[in-house]
Amino acid sequence: MKLRNKEKDVIALLNKAQRENKHNYITEDKLKLIAQETGLSYSEVYGVATFYSLFSLKPQGEYVIRVCNSGPCHLMGSKSIFDVLEKELKIKIGETTAYGRFTLEEVSCLGICNEAPAMMINEKVYGSLTPQKIREILIGLKKK
Amino acid sequence: MIKELKSPLRVVLCNYGRINPESIEEYIAQDGYEAVGKVLRKMRPEQVLSEIKASGLQGRGGAAFPTGLKWEFTAKAKDTPKYIICNADEGEPGTFKDRAILEGDPHKIIEGMIIAGYAVGTHYGYIYIRGEYLLSINRFNKALKQAREHRFLGNDIFGSGFNFQIDIHQGAGSYVCGEETALMESLEGRRGNPRFKPPFPPSSGLWGKPTLINNVETLANIIPIILKGADWFRTLGTKECPGTKVYAISGHVKETGLIEAPMGITLREIIINYAQGMRDGKFKMAQVGGTAGAILGEDMLDVPLDYASLREKGLVLGSGAILVMNETTCALDMLKCFLNFFERESCGKCIPGRVGTKKLLELATAISRGEGSKDDIDLMLHTAKVMQKTSLCALGQSPILPISTILKYFREEITEHIKGRCPTGVCKI
Amino acid sequence: METALVNGITIPHLCYKKGLSTTGSCRVCMVKIEGSPGMQAACTTEVVEGMKVITSDDEIDEARKLIVELILSEHKHDCLVCESNGNCELQDLAYELGIERIRFPISKSIEPTEDSSQVILKNPNRCILCGRCVRACAEITVQRVLNFAARGSCTFLISGLDQPLADTDCVSCGACIQACPTGALTEKLSRFQGRSWEFRKVQTICPYCGVGCRIELNIKNDKIVKVYGVEEGPANKGHLCVKGRFGFDYVHHKDRLTTPLIKHNGKFEEASWDEALNLVTAKFKELKDKHGSDALAGLSSAKCTNEENYLFQKFIRTCFGTNNVDHCARLCHASTVAGLARAFGSGAMTNSTQAFERADVILVTGSNTTEAHPVIGNYFKHLAVYNGTKLMIVDPRAIELTEYAEIWLRQKGGTDVAWINGLMNVIINEDLYNKEFVENRTENFDQFRKVVSKYTPEKVEKITGIPEEKLIAAARMYGKADRGSIVFAMGITQHTTGTDNVLSLANLAMLCGNVGREGTGINPLRGQNNVQGACDVGALSDVYPGYQKVSEAQARKKFETSWGVKLSPKEGLTVVEIMDAASKGEIKGLYIMGENPMLSDPNLNHVREGLENLDFLVVQDIFLTETAELADVVLPGVSFAEKEGTFTNTCRRIQLLHKAIPPIGKSREDWKIIMEISKRMGYPTAYHSPGEIMDEIASLTPIYGGVHFDRLGEQGLQWPCPSRNHPGTPYLHKGKFTRGKGLFTPVDYIPPAELPDEEYPFLLSTGRILYHFHTGSLSRRSKPLDGIAPEGFLEINPQDAEKLRIKNNDWVRLSSRRGKLKVKVKITNRVDKRVVFMTFHFAESAANLLTNDALDPVAKIPEYKVSAVKIERI
Repeated sequence: MKLRNKEKDVIALLNKAQRENKHNYITEDKLKLIAQETGLSYSEVYGVATFYSLFSLKPQGEYVIRVCNSGPCHLMGSKSIFDVLEKELKIKIGETTAYGRFTLEEVSCLGICNEAPAMMINEKVYGSLTPQKIREILIGLKKK
Repeated sequence: MIKELKSPLRVVLCNYGRINPESIEEYIAQDGYEAVGKVLRKMRPEQVLSEIKASGLQGRGGAAFPTGLKWEFTAKAKDTPKYIICNADEGEPGTFKDRAILEGDPHKIIEGMIIAGYAVGTHYGYIYIRGEYLLSINRFNKALKQAREHRFLGNDIFGSGFNFQIDIHQGAGSYVCGEETALMESLEGRRGNPRFKPPFPPSSGLWGKPTLINNVETLANIIPIILKGADWFRTLGTKECPGTKVYAISGHVKETGLIEAPMGITLREIIINYAQGMRDGKFKMAQVGGTAGAILGEDMLDVPLDYASLREKGLVLGSGAILVMNETTCALDMLKCFLNFFERESCGKCIPGRVGTKKLLELATAISRGEGSKDDIDLMLHTAKVMQKTSLCALGQSPILPISTILKYFREEITEHIKGRCPTGVCKI
Repeated sequence: METALVNGITIPHLCYKKGLSTTGSCRVCMVKIEGSPGMQAACTTEVVEGMKVITSDDEIDEARKLIVELILSEHKHDCLVCESNGNCELQDLAYELGIERIRFPISKSIEPTEDSSQVILKNPNRCILCGRCVRACAEITVQRVLNFAARGSCTFLISGLDQPLADTDCVSCGACIQACPTGALTEKLSRFQGRSWEFRKVQTICPYCGVGCRIELNIKNDKIVKVYGVEEGPANKGHLCVKGRFGFDYVHHKDRLTTPLIKHNGKFEEASWDEALNLVTAKFKELKDKHGSDALAGLSSAKCTNEENYLFQKFIRTCFGTNNVDHCARLCHASTVAGLARAFGSGAMTNSTQAFERADVILVTGSNTTEAHPVIGNYFKHLAVYNGTKLMIVDPRAIELTEYAEIWLRQKGGTDVAWINGLMNVIINEDLYNKEFVENRTENFDQFRKVVSKYTPEKVEKITGIPEEKLIAAARMYGKADRGSIVFAMGITQHTTGTDNVLSLANLAMLCGNVGREGTGINPLRGQNNVQGACDVGALSDVYPGYQKVSEAQARKKFETSWGVKLSPKEGLTVVEIMDAASKGEIKGLYIMGENPMLSDPNLNHVREGLENLDFLVVQDIFLTETAELADVVLPGVSFAEKEGTFTNTCRRIQLLHKAIPPIGKSREDWKIIMEISKRMGYPTAYHSPGEIMDEIASLTPIYGGVHFDRLGEQGLQWPCPSRNHPGTPYLHKGKFTRGKGLFTPVDYIPPAELPDEEYPFLLSTGRILYHFHTGSLSRRSKPLDGIAPEGFLEINPQDAEKLRIKNNDWVRLSSRRGKLKVKVKITNRVDKRVVFMTFHFAESAANLLTNDALDPVAKIPEYKVSAVKIERI
């Protein structure tokens, strides 16, 4: 029924759909299903899905690396973190590696400012980053 | 865990780092749920309201609105059902105090929400936690489950006949959803665009119903006020700004982390006594209140960091985030960083916000590349002023503060860039 | 903002639009209020007594300027070839503010134009993201196809899942175009057809359906280029549907008849007016002399004006001397007129479409409103979503409104008396009925109550298939409503028990006191643009103008006196009866104006027989329709845009048309043609204008008594309007019914005339789709309308399709006892099992070849909604 009663669940449903997808994104089919479930129109679901930074409508890597570049992190050297990651992964910000392992994103403050520069990879938080630490983390993930 | 820098006083952070946040028993052992018990068994809603009003508590999210007054407005509203929302969408750069409370002492917030619900007359509470705070969400979920098992949530709490339930709503990556009306839009399942005010949430909020929205830290203060009284609360802090504040320190200091202190502590005290001094060089500037906050130069190191004192000087306390910067920092580079944040986080609804933030960044970037002109600096300032007067919400209204204060101290440094030189060597011209 | 506008003070704005919700997003309308710090947006700030507002000073103007410069710095605003050049709110604002240069760096991202839609052109470079189109789509049509995507400066407008518009649920209503302040959204087909300042603008009334939307024709060189909805239009408030807004191009179609045609040896040849009219007159005179007046008949046009219909019925009655005059109302709402006249004393819609917002419950049955009366249907959706109005839909098909319904009762076709009695049974048993109303304002309650008591929910479930609990819930919903409104159309009327169905609905409304108050009532939605008017002015076989009975001596005398001729006291034949009589040779000569029975009547094979059997057939129309093909003489009339006159819409509102362009070719205004034939048949009339004709109608028709052209203005008049000073009547039966007391009629359920059986196992129901209108003679000649919907389909349930082993787009042969046709299949859950549905818009698969011409005994309306068919794969 199109009368609004389940609209408020849309963000939770989008989040679930993305988490259950190996490539961390929400497919068009899922968007349509969510529209049906919530009573929202396609454009309303699309509008919500594209508004929020954590959602992606395009396939991403299995690991989505989100590096913060807000005040504290920028001050404490997020640029060098980006440089290392771009070099190691051979991609630019916003891109995904060739075999779909990693995506590199720049994001706003993650609330880990006391351990700036910081990043999140999927659900895990990493702070007090150094180029060396980054390399170690990547090695660890590549092994999995 | 976030480092706690040997706070002079631990009211909000009393349990932080001292109890297992996943154990309700340990929370109870520290007088946990005593306040709820007291309120539901011995106080009428009006009494709770007058206690909070008397305490002089102000909103700790940044707006500093008198909490008791907000509760009263919501309580007096006639329409039903009412809602209360805990705003845990902590997104102001440099701020991580709410995360600490949610990760370290979630039950305190549950308690605060129950009491708030009782006082204003609602059975429905939501907590909007930003999507990146997964540990907070996880722990809060556990805490809710435990609270329900212990009958602190649900029907007939403490046999008082009062029912209350809390649901978590998880954010999905948007700073502007920390703005209360954008938060409600998001909660209702829409894009996080702010609404125009008036009407204000206490009269028309979630789904058009009276809604009370409080910050995490604000709600954390409810428990000590109830247990120890408004009078006690007033003995802390300053006359106009009673109580404590949890300050978040980051940047070029030896020790970064949280410190809870009576309202009115100064920047110098924080840096020297708690953050163990500057790191790698002399103090150049500090931004207080997050990216939307003002820049404080050396001349401001002794200003009491409370809402009123800072407002007097044309500055803001905001969330209480403090970013300390030493002389290796390029003022223009940081300004670009701040403007980049606004541009990325703008919701896009209003023209000054959507296009203004973009143009500000473009102007600052041009200057930093040696491609700008003096007029650009003035245009930046002027645009930010117009944005302050016309933007729909605080996001567009904010850039004027960092821009004008940076220019106040570092206009020359910025002008150097126009001539093709970055004094600190940070900007590649 | 509104207060300022009403008082003639303009506060510059971009995102504000009257009729849509406010968002306060453009920030251009900032003003200063004395006593308050800073600036506030005028569109979202409420006025308070004594408030002092400064709408312009240096600071405010500078802020506005900067904001507009911000917009201008963002995209390529190419005014040179923009359709909105000269009609653009952004241009106006920039000019007003004197913006000669833009201070900001200009981002010249250039996006391609999106032109997948047949009618809407989207140019994102001109989009200022004001959101008016998003709100229009969400609030007016409630389709919610448009929205914003991404965030901040990356925000852009999308449709659907960022799909081309043509791939979405867009219904091409064009509300977005009308809402757009710039040239971001424009009419695709009007591109490069004229600059905004070149248009001559004429307001008139839409020619399609009975809603009666007020439209503004934009004309260049006597060609209609585009159409806007008039915001002050009482029936539509600026809203239109795809047909009204984009379906006007048939007026200029190359198929337009431009000269009279006379058939020689089976082929049409062009003739002069004199030739044609002389032949027509001579033949009709001959037949009248030889076979008598009753061997002649006329079919008037529900598409022509009131004045033309009045002249037509007057002609048939005076010149032919018979009451054999009827029109297509017989086929759609004859049962309504019969039923309501009996129950209330007046056969028309009791309330007004504008007042639906006052109803807390709206019961819609037998009406696929969002497709047949789109502006009203969308209004129902709007009320359900934004006004909390509860919709109750009773329909065998899963029409769009069921998605907005609080309760949907899915009954078997043709079982309406049963479920209506069932509702009333519950309402009476649970004491929910309005005792005071029943006591004081009605009669015959006890007899009626006895019959209703038999229709228990259990019994009703057996007949209709509606589950007991649902029926009870529905009864409670309507019974407890403060103001309940009933809306219905063909699903109720087009049955052999059509009159009974209407009487039952009347019973239901009276039972709950829902007559005679605003936002209540019985509201039949009339189909054609002027079918209500055609009935009002007497183009019916049994009544003169104003429903004064032909058989009543006093009424007859009045008309005899005015018209100066002796009139027949014998009631005439109705539409289907005329066809029948023609095939039997009892009707020899037929004059048809603006009607297409070869597609619209039931049992088309029989209709063809009838028409082909006539000695002489004259068809007056604007196209060579399927009926005109059979004529001996074809007379070219004119479209709505080429004449002056009035239409009466479904809620009795008489509205004035303005002639916008001269007649195409040698065609003539229909009223002039009738006058000419009348004169040549020995009955000259001397009307100089349609206005004079209306004055005559007013003198003879009490309900139109005060209707004169100089009174009609923008709002028209709702009859009854008995005298010059009477303001018109928004709702009927206030205080007392037209007949005094409302009459309860006990009605028992009778099954339809032909139900599915072994040989013909499917139930066929016929109806309409949004993009076409009736027999398609106009809409199929409209490029965009036919472009969007070029062919018809048979809707069939997936289970049935599987059993028959048919897939989407397969051809099937559909046959009934009366005929057969080929049609493509569309598999959908909209229809129930063992039920199929198709429209009658497409001549290639003319549904009425199959339909049953069994008639309702009182109203003589055919049972279009139920016939038995069989399906074979081809």
